[in-house]
Amino acid sequence: MGLFSALSFGAPWILAALAALPVLWWLLKVTPPQPRRIFFPPIRLLLGLKDEEQTPAHTPWWLLLLRLLAAGLLILALAEPMLGRNVKLLGDGPLVLVVDNGWTAAKNWSQRQSLITDLLRAADDRPVAIVPTATPGPVTLLDAGAAEKSARELKPMPWPGDRAAAAAQIARAHLAGRPQFSWLSDGLEDGQGDTLRRALAGAGSLRIFAPDRPALGLLPARHDGTGFAVTAIRANNQGGLRVQVAAVGSRGETLSDAPLDFRAGDKRGQTHITLPLEVRNQTARLEIRGEDSAGAVQLLDTGGAERRVGLVSAAATENEQPLLSDIYYLERALTPFADVEKGTISDLIGRRVSVLFLADVGQISGSDVDAVKKFLKGGGVLIRFAGPRMSNGTDDLVPVSLRTGGRYLGSAMAWNQPQHLTSFPALSPFNGLAIPAEVTVSRQILAEPSAELTQRAWARLTDGTPLVTARQSGGGWIVLFHITASPAWSSLPLSGLYVDMLKRLLALSAGTPAAALARLSNLAPITVMDGFGHLQPPAPDIAPIAARDFERVQISAKHPPGLYGAKGVASALNELGAAARLEPLSLSGMQSYGDARTIVLEPYLLALGALLLCLDALASLWLRGYLPTRLAGAAAMLALLFVAAPRAQADEAMNLKAALDTRLAYVVTGLADVDQVSREGLSGLNLVLKARTSYEPQDPIGVDILHDDLSFYPLLYWPMDPREKNLPPEAISKLNDYMRLGGTILFDTRDLTLGAVRGANSPGQQTLRRITQGLDLPPLEPVPADHVLTKAFYILKDFPGRWAGGQVWVERLPPAEKGKERVPARGGDGVSPVIIGGNDWAAAWAVDSGGHPLSEPMPGGEMQREVAFRFGVNLVMYALTGNYKTDQVHAPALLERLK
Amino acid sequence: MTGFSPLQHEADALGAGLPPLMVAADRLAASVSLGAHGRRKAGIGENFWQFRRYGSADSVGRIDWRQSAKSQHLFVREREWEAAQTVWFWRDSDPGMQFRSGDISKLDRANLLLLALAALLVRGGERVGLMGAAFLPAASRFTLSRIGHALLDKAMQEKERARTVQTSGPPPTPVARGSRIVWFSDFLQPDIEDRMTAFARLGVVGHLVRIVDPAEEDFPYTGRARFEAPRGHDSALFGRAESVASDYRARFTAHGEKIARTATKLGWSMTAHRTDHAPQTALIALHAAIGPS
Repeated sequence: MGLFSALSFGAPWILAALAALPVLWWLLKVTPPQPRRIFFPPIRLLLGLKDEEQTPAHTPWWLLLLRLLAAGLLILALAEPMLGRNVKLLGDGPLVLVVDNGWTAAKNWSQRQSLITDLLRAADDRPVAIVPTATPGPVTLLDAGAAEKSARELKPMPWPGDRAAAAAQIARAHLAGRPQFSWLSDGLEDGQGDTLRRALAGAGSLRIFAPDRPALGLLPARHDGTGFAVTAIRANNQGGLRVQVAAVGSRGETLSDAPLDFRAGDKRGQTHITLPLEVRNQTARLEIRGEDSAGAVQLLDTGGAERRVGLVSAAATENEQPLLSDIYYLERALTPFADVEKGTISDLIGRRVSVLFLADVGQISGSDVDAVKKFLKGGGVLIRFAGPRMSNGTDDLVPVSLRTGGRYLGSAMAWNQPQHLTSFPALSPFNGLAIPAEVTVSRQILAEPSAELTQRAWARLTDGTPLVTARQSGGGWIVLFHITASPAWSSLPLSGLYVDMLKRLLALSAGTPAAALARLSNLAPITVMDGFGHLQPPAPDIAPIAARDFERVQISAKHPPGLYGAKGVASALNELGAAARLEPLSLSGMQSYGDARTIVLEPYLLALGALLLCLDALASLWLRGYLPTRLAGAAAMLALLFVAAPRAQADEAMNLKAALDTRLAYVVTGLADVDQVSREGLSGLNLVLKARTSYEPQDPIGVDILHDDLSFYPLLYWPMDPREKNLPPEAISKLNDYMRLGGTILFDTRDLTLGAVRGANSPGQQTLRRITQGLDLPPLEPVPADHVLTKAFYILKDFPGRWAGGQVWVERLPPAEKGKERVPARGGDGVSPVIIGGNDWAAAWAVDSGGHPLSEPMPGGEMQREVAFRFGVNLVMYALTGNYKTDQVHAPALLERLK
Repeated sequence: MTGFSPLQHEADALGAGLPPLMVAADRLAASVSLGAHGRRKAGIGENFWQFRRYGSADSVGRIDWRQSAKSQHLFVREREWEAAQTVWFWRDSDPGMQFRSGDISKLDRANLLLLALAALLVRGGERVGLMGAAFLPAASRFTLSRIGHALLDKAMQEKERARTVQTSGPPPTPVARGSRIVWFSDFLQPDIEDRMTAFARLGVVGHLVRIVDPAEEDFPYTGRARFEAPRGHDSALFGRAESVASDYRARFTAHGEKIARTATKLGWSMTAHRTDHAPQTALIALHAAIGPS
C-alpha cells in the first residue's frame, strides 16, 4: 500500500491506452505466426499435396502474454510514473525558489539540490525564478531548461546570505499571478528571517523547508603549550552531540583529531587537540569533520610554520674554501627546515628573519646592537657560534660572560684528550636527543664561572664545562655555542646531533607574527575558501585588504575567507570570529527536506519493455525454426552482457602467468600483423636464450598498456607503426611509473620496414615522437662503445636487426671519470629505461612454429641474423641483470681480496 | 613473338588458379583406379601400335627405315586405330542444383564426380570434352584443367542459367554418333525426358547420373512451412509438413523410377547418387558403366 501511495504519474491520461490491450490480444490471436520458408528444388512434386490438418496456426499463449506485457509496460512507461516525494504545486502562478546559499547551507547541499530538482520537475511548464540569498540579483522568470541549468550552477557561497536583499529583490520584481514561494532555508536565524517570511507570505503562498540539523561553526582556536584549544558552536541546544575535530596539514593530511561533545542544553562545545610542537607548526587548518562548510573550518596563519633564518659570518673564506666555512655547515643543516637567507645583521633583520645565526662574530658593531636588541625584544632568537674572533673578546649579547682565549688540546689549560658530551640537563631543550659517542670537542671558549651558569648551560662536556649556553632576553633568546659552526673545533657539525639541535632551536622560536611583518602593506588573497570549506585559487575580482583593517574586515563576496598576504607569511581570514553565535530559525510551518528522493521509473520500464520485445523476437525466430543456426548470434548477444566478469578473470590468469615466470613481453598495438611479428620475434629470441644462456623464458606475452599490470615484465618490446593510436593520459603515467621502477622499453621504429628512409622523418620515428609525447624520458645518447649493452653477454660493436646500420640510443651515462684507469664497460646506475633503435629486431628474430626464420636480414644475411640474436641476448641480460656486468670488471680484485 | 604472350597468359592463369576441385578430383580418381583395370601400359606413345614385316601390298612410303636398318628385314610401322572414343560431359547448373541440406550442394558433388571420372578416362586414353565449352575434346591433363575452369567459371554458369530457362539439359553440341554423354543432373526439370529423347535420336549413348540431396529423398520437414521453388513462383504452404511426407516420398521414388525407365527405354544407363554418400562408390559404378568398352 505504501508503495502505491508513493506512486504518481506525470502523464496519467496515457494510462487510458491500457484499455486497448484486449484489442491487441484479439489481433495477435487471429494473426498466425509467419511460416518458415524453405527453398526446395523438387517443389513440383509437392504441388497438389493436401495437408491433412488445415487448422490455422495459433500464436502460443505465452508469446501472447509476453507481447501484451511488453505493450503494457511501454504504456506505463510513457505515463511517466514516479516513486517517492511528490511536490505538488497549487494554482498556476510562477514558482519562485528562494534558496539560502551562504556557508550555512553547504552542509547537506545535495539534499537541497535534489529538492530543487523535484520542485522544478513539479513546476513542469510554469515559469520559475531562483533567488539565492547569498548572491541576490534581479529576479527573472526562466523557462524549464534555463531554470534547470541555473539550478545546477547554484553553489553555496563562503559568505553569509542577505535575506533582506533577497526580499527587496522579490518585492521589486512584481511577479504576475500568485507566485508559489518555496524557501529552502538553512535553518539559521540571521535577524532577517521574519522579514523575508512576511515579504514572501504577503506576495503569494509560501512553503519553508529547513534542515533537520543546521550547520555547526568552529570558533578561532587558541594555541596553548601542548596544542589547540578548540571551541565549536551550534544553533540549538537540544540533546547531546558528538563531532570530530581535526587538525589538518597543508596537503590535506590529518595530523591529529579529537572528539568534541556538545552537552544537552549547551550551545558551545570545547575540546583540546594535543600536538607536539613540530607537528603543530605543520597544521594548516582545523575543521569539524563531516560538516563540509566554510564555517566549520579555521585556517591558521602560515607565518609561524616556516621560519626565516638569517646567517651572518665574519669570515671571508666562504667562497674560496667552502668546506672550512662556518656558513656552509649551518646552511646545509638548516635548509630542509627553514627559509635560509644570508647577509649582514641589519640587512637580515630588515628582511624580518625569525632566527639570526652569527658564526664567529666577535663584536656586534654600533648600530647593529640596537637592531639586535629590538629584534630580541620582538621575540627573535639569536644563535651565536664561537670562533677565533670571539676568543679575543666579545660584546654583551652573549648568555654568559666569557673568558678571553680559548682552551684547546695542548694549550695552557690543556686537555689530555678531546672531550665528549655529557647527557643534556633536564631543563635543556635538547633533552632527549641521543648523543653519538664519536662526537668530540677539541677546542672551546670557556665561560666565567658564575651562579647562573648552571641554569644557563643547555649542553655540557664530560668535564662539566658548558658547550651551549642560553639566556632569555626581551621576548626572545640568546643562545651561544662555545664551539665553531664548522668542524674546526669539534666533530659536532659532522654529526646528526648538530642538525637535531638546530631543529630544536628553530622550534624554540615562536616565529615572527605574520601580521606584524606586513603591517604597512596590503594583504593580497593567496587562496580562498568556497562554501564547502575547500581552498580555491582566488578569483581576480577579490580585492586585497589593507593590513591595518585586517582584524575588522567583514566576510563578504569582496572578502571571502581564505589566506591573505604573501606566500610563507599569510594571515588567515576566517568565517567566524571569536564572538560568533548561531541561532535557530523558528518560523511557523517549516517542513523538513526529507531524505526521500523521487525515482523516475520511466527509463527502467522502457528498458524492461525493450528486453521483453527482444525476447519476443528470439521466440518468434525459434517458432519459425530459424533459431538453431542463429543460436550463436543470440548467445553472442547474451555474452555481451557478461563480458565484464570474464575480463577480470582473464586479467587474473594473465597476471599469474606473468608473475610465476619471467617472460619477455611486447606491447600489443592492436594491429594484427605488427603484433604477430612481435610475438614471433620474441619466440625466436626465446629459443636462442634457452639454447645459449641459463635464462629459460616461457612463451612471450602481449601486454595491453592500458589494462594490464606492467610490473611483471623486465623488458617491453614496442614496435612503432603509423597506425598506432596516441596514448591516453592514464597509460602515459603508467609507463612513466614502469620506467621509473626499473622497467626497460625497447622502442623499435622499424625504419626501413616502414619506408625507404632512415632518420628523423621516417614514419617510425614520427610515430615514436607522437606516442612518447608526455613520457618522462631521460636524456639519451647513441650507445657508447664501452656501454655495458655491448658486453652484457656477447661483445658487440653494432646492433643490427632485419636492417643494419641504424643508430641505437640509450639513457646518457655519466661521463667517464678522467684520469682513472679505463674500465672496459660502463653502466650507470640501474638500467636505461628506454632503448630506441630502428633495425626491426623482431623481424630478424621471428621464427615460425617449426623454428624456421621468417625474414631475410639485409644486407648481411644469416651472419647478420646471428648478430641480431646476440644483440637480443645482450639486451635481455642487460634488462635482467642491470649493471652487474660492469661490476664484473672488479671480479679479479675481489678474488684477490678473498685470498 | 606475338604468339608467346597469350600462351604465357593462359598458362599462368591455369598454373596460378589450379582449383582445389582439381586436386580433390585427382585424389578421388587415384583412390578408385587402383582396384579397377589397366587398359594399356603407360608411357608408350599414343599412336604406335606395332612393327610388321613389309608386305607387297604395302606402300614403299610406309617403310620405317630406322627400324629396318637394325635388321635384315623391312618393317612397316602400324598405328593404332585412331578413332578413340570421345566422352562428352555435362552437368546441369540450374539454381536447384545449388540446394544443400548438409555440407555439400548437388552442384559441388556433380563437379567433383565429373572431373574425377574425366581424370580416370583420360588416364585410360579416352578423349573427354565438356558440352557447351569452347574447346575440343582431347585426352590430356590440360583438357582436364580446362574442364575444371569451365565448371567453375561464373560467367559461363550465368550463361547456362539464362539458356536453361527455356530448355533444360545440355546445349546443342556437334556430337558424333556413337560417342557418349555423361549427364549429371537432379533430373527434376519438367521437360527432362524430351531432352533425353532428343539426344538419343542423335545416336549418342547416355549415362545419367542422378544427384539427390538427402533432404529431397527423406523429407525431414515438420511444422508450419512454406516450400518455395528455386526459380519461378511456385510455392506450397503446409500447416504440418510432416503430414505430407509419406505422399511426397512416394512421388519422389516414382519420379526416380520414371527417369530410370526412360533411360532404359533409350538404351541408356542411370546411376543415382546421394550427396551424403561417399563419392568413391558412385565413381566406381560410373567407371564400370562407361570406362572399359
